[in-house]
Amino acid sequence: MMTEDFEPVTDTVEEQAPVEACTKCTACNTVCPVARNTEIFRGPKLLGPESERFRIPQEPSVVAGLDLCSGCKLCEVTCPSQVSIQTYIRRAQNKGARERGRTLRDFLLGHTRLLGTFGSLTAPLANLGNRNPLLRWFMERFVGIHRKRPLPRYQFLTFERWHRRHPRPVRARRKVAYFYGCWVNYNERRLGEMVVAILERNGIEVVVPRQQCCGIPAVVNSNTDLARKYGVQNVRLLAPLAGEMDIVASSTSCGLMLKHDYSHLLDIPGAEPLGARTYDICEYLWMLHEAKELDLDFQPVPMRVLYHAPCHLKSHGIGYPAMRLLRLVPGVKVEEVDEGCCGISGTFGVKVEKYDLSMKIGSRLFAAVKAAGSDAVLADCETCRMQVEHGAGASSAHPVEILARAYGYR
Amino acid sequence: MPDLSTGVVVIGGGSTGAGVLRDLAMRGIDAVLVEKGDLASGTTGRSHGLLHSGGRYCVNDLQAAIECVEEGRILRKIARTTIEDTGGYFVSVTDEDREWEPRFVEGCRQAGITCERISVEEARRREPALSRHVRTAFWLPEDGHLDPFFLVLANTESARRRGARVMTYTEVVGFSRAGDRVTGVRLRDVMSGAETAIACQAVINATGAWSGLVARLLGVEVRVVPVKGVMVVLSHRLAHAAINRCHKPGDGDIVVPALSVAILGTTSAKVPHPEVLPIEWDEVRRMIEEGALMLDGVTTARAMRAYAGVRPLYDLGAEAEGREMSRNFAVIDHEVRDGVKGLTSIVGGKVTTYRLMAERVVDLVARRLGVGNPCTTADVPISDHDDSLDQLRHRPAQLGVPKPHSGEHPLEPLLCECEMVRPRDAAPWFADPAVRTLEDVRRRTRAGMGPCQAAICSYRLAARLVTDRGLDGSQATRAMADFLETRWRGVRHVFWGSQLRQAQVGTGLQMELFNLDRQLAIDGDRPETREPRLPSRRPVPAEARG
Ligand SMILES: Cc1cc2nc3c(=O)[nH]c(=O)nc-3n(C[C@H](O)[C@H](O)[C@H](O)COP(=O)(O)OP(=O)(O)OC[C@H]3O[C@@H](n4cnc5c(N)ncnc54)[C@H](O)[C@@H]3O)c2cc1C
Ligand code: SF4
Ligand code: SF4
Repeated sequence: MMTEDFEPVTDTVEEQAPVEACTKCTACNTVCPVARNTEIFRGPKLLGPESERFRIPQEPSVVAGLDLCSGCKLCEVTCPSQVSIQTYIRRAQNKGARERGRTLRDFLLGHTRLLGTFGSLTAPLANLGNRNPLLRWFMERFVGIHRKRPLPRYQFLTFERWHRRHPRPVRARRKVAYFYGCWVNYNERRLGEMVVAILERNGIEVVVPRQQCCGIPAVVNSNTDLARKYGVQNVRLLAPLAGEMDIVASSTSCGLMLKHDYSHLLDIPGAEPLGARTYDICEYLWMLHEAKELDLDFQPVPMRVLYHAPCHLKSHGIGYPAMRLLRLVPGVKVEEVDEGCCGISGTFGVKVEKYDLSMKIGSRLFAAVKAAGSDAVLADCETCRMQVEHGAGASSAHPVEILARAYGYR
Repeated sequence: MPDLSTGVVVIGGGSTGAGVLRDLAMRGIDAVLVEKGDLASGTTGRSHGLLHSGGRYCVNDLQAAIECVEEGRILRKIARTTIEDTGGYFVSVTDEDREWEPRFVEGCRQAGITCERISVEEARRREPALSRHVRTAFWLPEDGHLDPFFLVLANTESARRRGARVMTYTEVVGFSRAGDRVTGVRLRDVMSGAETAIACQAVINATGAWSGLVARLLGVEVRVVPVKGVMVVLSHRLAHAAINRCHKPGDGDIVVPALSVAILGTTSAKVPHPEVLPIEWDEVRRMIEEGALMLDGVTTARAMRAYAGVRPLYDLGAEAEGREMSRNFAVIDHEVRDGVKGLTSIVGGKVTTYRLMAERVVDLVARRLGVGNPCTTADVPISDHDDSLDQLRHRPAQLGVPKPHSGEHPLEPLLCECEMVRPRDAAPWFADPAVRTLEDVRRRTRAGMGPCQAAICSYRLAARLVTDRGLDGSQATRAMADFLETRWRGVRHVFWGSQLRQAQVGTGLQMELFNLDRQLAIDGDRPETREPRLPSRRPVPAEARG
């Protein structure tokens, strides 16, 4: 079994401390990408631990300003006291939404699986519609989605259906369960195919269990209730598997939910053991390498790539395994663009009132990417990739794509 | 030569003195209040802040309970802005508590206190933090949080608008007499040492635990026993309502939610002098242990500081005549008792009953002065001043957020982030000459009362002394150090866990970043920076120390 041969790269996420632990050091504010780019945001310190002192369960929740928190979690990563800043913000927001009612936009953005099912069933039409200026005007006006924000393209063949037809490998050294998430299922099946190919190349059978949306879109759209519901379903579906095999996720935020937020933010019973066996795909591959199990028979990939580390990856507390992996591939020249948050933060930069802010937050990154003029920008997170493409006009890819190429996958 | 002449001098700026001043002003009697510190810097500002429903006294002291019931109802009418109407629970934890219950219920009935027995499940639904030890619960909707400082301020402001005068940092150091009549008081400015005098027709001694010391200046005796009580402040409310143990009143059996904090208390121990209030680790520990019997989270919550107040317990034993007596407080007519005309003392009582105490003593003094106007303080609301408690509690909501693209000005930076004090909340106080120290600013704004205990806001406030008051750098540094010193006195009793880490951050900021101690040493060589100083460690008389 895997846990016996592997030592995790690091202890993923640290213990969390109660609100009392905050020493008002203000470190969180100094890293918050939103606070750094707008003067109308009070910052994590005030909206998290400071406001938490004034929150009274018996009284209506004060939500002013909370929606400006993008959910990037850099504050939590930075806090030297491990204060669960996000937990306080999200709970207060959820309570407020419960009391005041939820908006159509919150509903739509929180239900990615619903959107995905609809989008993929009507794929060509949906994609056309998403680029139709008139429709976009209506979406901006009535849903609050900024017209300039490119929306993800849907594909007719979902990853789930693809995988059902995919032949199982004959012999495998071990099994691993794949949490592909909504993005791979509805928008970027190819990424899932590559993950499967890479794992199979390394003698690992990929099990694709039934799964629900990880819940992160709901978390950041004032609905931890819904996220919790999803989380409970996922724990029920995945926890039994976690007894037998590791779980990998190719989406940074999905992985973070499984690893950490189910047990901490959402308090889901039984989530802890599931989280302990969940790995980010690159983290997992690097562990294989450390165990001398990774097939290093790479073809050279002559490319100059930039690596952008997504904020949520930083929350994993695993360093940048993608960078380490890429350095194993001959021909690849990888450099980190260390310019902070890209600004999109999932659904944050999609919203009409936040689009400009989102672009402003990303501007440092965009400028650096443009100046570097590389072949592609690599990022583990799908919305980061969307944002870099949109803001810097660069092409982008998940790091595993380079590995897949090095293995001869086309 | 008197510098000023008035009808009545009120000594003491606690709840009693402030209430007396307003009552006098409303009866059209010219009056001056003198207080040696800031308003409410004595017992009043160091009380527990419970607006007593009377439940605590209804078994042992029915009279006191009835006074609380009546006064509580009046205060809800006239001083609404200084009250958080939280209600309270009385909970039983042990078998002994259960035995107390029938007497408690009967006492409530006799005193006319609204008291409803509710199931523990229901109580826990409303107050999820109630501990698993709780066995029965009573709901007393008339308990509340009465903010002593804002109550005093509201009273003195109301009196000021009616022509009364308030002199803070002014100590009464002696009296002038003509024969058996008191004709005035001698005063000393605590900051500058300058002496002045006021001529008056009557003096009301409302100095609480200090009453004996003040009366002694005239050679008369008031037997108050200073009784110390220790309280521990936790960094957030824990419960929305006041939580009392349903038992014979004892130590550590009340938790009062006060704005953004919860206060555990209290103890009871005689002390030799009202200003000798040591806080023992044992007392702090006991408050936390007792509090934890009623509420979960008491042991894990962050204790921010501990403080002590001193009850003016009036020794009834020796007094027989010249006294309108309540078992709760006493009005001492020194003309009848000691043959000293023009002096009256008012001692004992509670913040909750301050208005009644004032009414009683002013009834007597007005009669002596031949003023027939009746007391109207129970009917005329103390008009709202800006910072009502409701606003204070809902500060996060007031901070708000400007809408993007609306062209609204960006967010005001805060002076104190823990308590969310904006510059505009503090600005009027920097302009008020009665505000002499940063400690006074704290009382009026709550700046520095949050978890970091002024680690961060102290330097911002000190900067305002430079911009708004024209102090130079060294003077502002001195003021900042004095302010931190007063905070430190409370914090050092709770040095464990988060507050210890907090102190480390604060010390790093002050000593390493600001080089505060060395700066003080350097500045200390320059005589002009010794002023203005906080009259902090006032010398304690030698006989009191023993
Ligand atoms: C620990 C504790 C908890 C309490 N909790 C509660 C509670 O929850 N609810 C409640 O209703 N009551 C409570 N009380 C009781 C209540 O606080 C006091 O009874 C009340 O505050 C007394 O007010 P006062 O104005 O008489 O005295 P003080 O507030 O002490 O005012 C006297 C003032 O006189 C000043 N003074 C002294 N000497 C001189 C001088 N020579 N010249 C000028 N000024 C002078 C002092 O500086 C002081 O400010 C509590 C008391 C204690 C000790
Ligand atoms: S999660 Fe990100 S945007 Fe939100 S407060 Fe923290 S650092 Fe700022
Ligand atoms: S970084 Fe952590 S400890 Fe520092 S102010 Fe922010 S929440 Fe508090």
